Amino acid sequence: MAIPLKYNIRNLFVRKITTGLTVLGIGLVVAVFLSVMSLSEGLARVFKASGSTRNVLVLRQNSQSEVQSGISRNQVPLILTLPGIEKDIDGNPLASSELVVMLNLKKIDGGASNVTLRGISEKSPLLRPQFKLIEGRMFSPGLSEVIVSRSISERFKNCRLGDTIHFGVYKWKVVGIFDAGGTAPDSEIWTDVEGAMNSFKRPSYSSVLVRTTDKASRDQFIAALAGDPRLALEGKVERVYYDEQTSTAAPIKFFGIFIGVIMAIGAGFGAMNTMYAAVSTRTKEIAMLRVLGFSRLAILTSFIVEALCLALLGGLLGCLLGILTVELALSGVTGTTNFTTFSEVVFAFRLTPKILLTGIILSLFIGLFGGILPATQAAFTKIILALRQIE
Amino acid sequence: MKLLPLILKNVFRKKARAILTIGSIILPLLVICLMGTFLRLLDRPDPAETRGMFRIVTRHKVGLASPLPMSYAEKIQQLDGAFAVTKFNWFGGKYIDNSARNFFARFAVEPETLVQVFDDATITQGSATDWFNDRAGSLVGEDLMKKFGWRIGDQIVLIGDIYPVTIQLTIRAVYQLPDGDSDALFFNREYLEEALPSFQGKVGTIWTKCRDGAAATRLSDEIDQMFENSPYPTKTETEKAFQMGFVSMLGNVKLLITSLGTIVVFVILLIAANTMALSARERIREIALLRTLGFSRVTILMLTLGESLMLALFGGILGLGLFVVGFRPLKASLINTPLSGFATAMTLFPEVLLLGLAITIFVGLFSGLVPAIQASMRPITEGLRHIG
Repeated sequence: MAIPLKYNIRNLFVRKITTGLTVLGIGLVVAVFLSVMSLSEGLARVFKASGSTRNVLVLRQNSQSEVQSGISRNQVPLILTLPGIEKDIDGNPLASSELVVMLNLKKIDGGASNVTLRGISEKSPLLRPQFKLIEGRMFSPGLSEVIVSRSISERFKNCRLGDTIHFGVYKWKVVGIFDAGGTAPDSEIWTDVEGAMNSFKRPSYSSVLVRTTDKASRDQFIAALAGDPRLALEGKVERVYYDEQTSTAAPIKFFGIFIGVIMAIGAGFGAMNTMYAAVSTRTKEIAMLRVLGFSRLAILTSFIVEALCLALLGGLLGCLLGILTVELALSGVTGTTNFTTFSEVVFAFRLTPKILLTGIILSLFIGLFGGILPATQAAFTKIILALRQIE
Repeated sequence: MKLLPLILKNVFRKKARAILTIGSIILPLLVICLMGTFLRLLDRPDPAETRGMFRIVTRHKVGLASPLPMSYAEKIQQLDGAFAVTKFNWFGGKYIDNSARNFFARFAVEPETLVQVFDDATITQGSATDWFNDRAGSLVGEDLMKKFGWRIGDQIVLIGDIYPVTIQLTIRAVYQLPDGDSDALFFNREYLEEALPSFQGKVGTIWTKCRDGAAATRLSDEIDQMFENSPYPTKTETEKAFQMGFVSMLGNVKLLITSLGTIVVFVILLIAANTMALSARERIREIALLRTLGFSRVTILMLTLGESLMLALFGGILGLGLFVVGFRPLKASLINTPLSGFATAMTLFPEVLLLGLAITIFVGLFSGLVPAIQASMRPITEGLRHIG
């Protein structure tokens, strides 16, 4: 027969202060873990959602990113003759030659960061379905005009609609604000590619983005590109290209798990303390239960359950604190450096149900770890000695 | 202090509890030391303040990806107060693979002027002359030598990306900077110019060693004004400002780490306070007895505070000791993780240990405060009446 759950729960509330302190401790550990994980998730989310599986990004061989790549003008027509490219309604290939430049811009709340300026071609918005112009208008080629993502306009100086951004000797007018649904362009400023190449005196493009008709033709295109001896270029599926940049989030995730584990063990020791204290004050009580006929197993389980309940309370508190922190203090977008492109990547903290679940599981582990030894001690109390005990 | 033996006995009255509490202090303290090390690394000392090295960095105003013409270096050299000028180009490329472990800074430079501008560096192995005389030679930082186990004469192959060539370099000299990181690789730009003619004539950043602080400030403005209306306008800043620029690109990392650290301290405080509350409750009758024997309220206060402080100190000193002893293995194990860059630069800073000690004392005092006050203020009769 099992000991009723009520017994354990009542016991938790008898010693309010101790229970409270332990629950708070576990709660904080879980909250910290959740915060760091939601940072990592938010960052990774930008890369996972960006890019389409039907687009192929053409770069120079061995380039890790567009910044390191270069494609000369005369190579572009050769690329466009390769098989697999989708055509638009006029029968022209759906492709966009682009230039990527890093601009060092000042942030609104101090410091500066590299922001990606992307020179695009006419077809570019067609290749990026999440792109949406929300304010103002599209830039007119050749007039030193740019459009800025909403996130960038909120984080950097002089990037709002109507402002003028100065780089070098050139002034660029912001004529539109766009939104890219949390994907890579949300960290970019767009202008026309010819104007950009002119201003920055770049003789070649950084990349060519190509839309293929389906998976088979996509693979056909990539193979044809790799096999062409005249072009030292390689094609990457756009989605894969962005996926690989999650290396930026890797240190943070590692850090979060590393800290989470160490702190969990620390909190586990704290929980163990509480449980040991609980067991030692209730020695006579436990002996009574044994006399009444409850088995050792029942006692063991009972105390483990008590520890788990304690930890679960902490876990729930931690989730609550985590949600409050992310919704209140960490809402809105923030940015850090994308290590692959060495420029700003804008993201938002994301606390998903999956992360919350991980937090709860962490708290249960703490409970199990903290409860097992005291529970074992309780289960193996010698009845006679315990009943004889005065204190 | 006559009370000391009593305090010690009380701390270890329940051995398991004491050990667990000490354990739960040691682990978070290690985390705090790690975070403290990271914050300290972000806060590099200013070479101008610490070593009188007044260096300024000139780059294209638009950003680091835009090159400057070589002729700018000559023009800067002629300015009054410019002691020595050298040219840097970030090579990038790949060493073996693109893992975090194999990433380090690789620059194409002008060897003779490099050592003039960075004359606070010492050559610890090999010789600078060997490097000057070998066009395909390289100067490597001491930290990198240790990390990869390289030796003088070893061949390093770099597969270029921004500059699409594969280059093979021989290590000819090893350098060490006093309080900076010695974790970069430098090779002769002429090697790259021969391999890639399009590279000629372009410079990424120009570093100038100025005569003194006043010259550094004046020259920063002078250089920027000189090139303001040219096709390649510049931005010049002090070495420290340039490096801090990279840190600010990381975003609010400092704030994040500091907040996390504060919460960790709070967690330790809670666990220690829990222990003190538990042991205080068990000894209510005992303390009442002590009071009847004549011990004053203040003594009881001291006893309890002393106990929490001692417990914390045990945890703190063991924790800090563990950090010091386990530093090398920890650093070595982190090098193969995504935190590789941090691991390479990790050093044992005395400030971090002092911080750990301060936190330990803080936790010791505050975790015991409430139980101490409660114990000392409790009326004797109430204490005697208490049923444990």
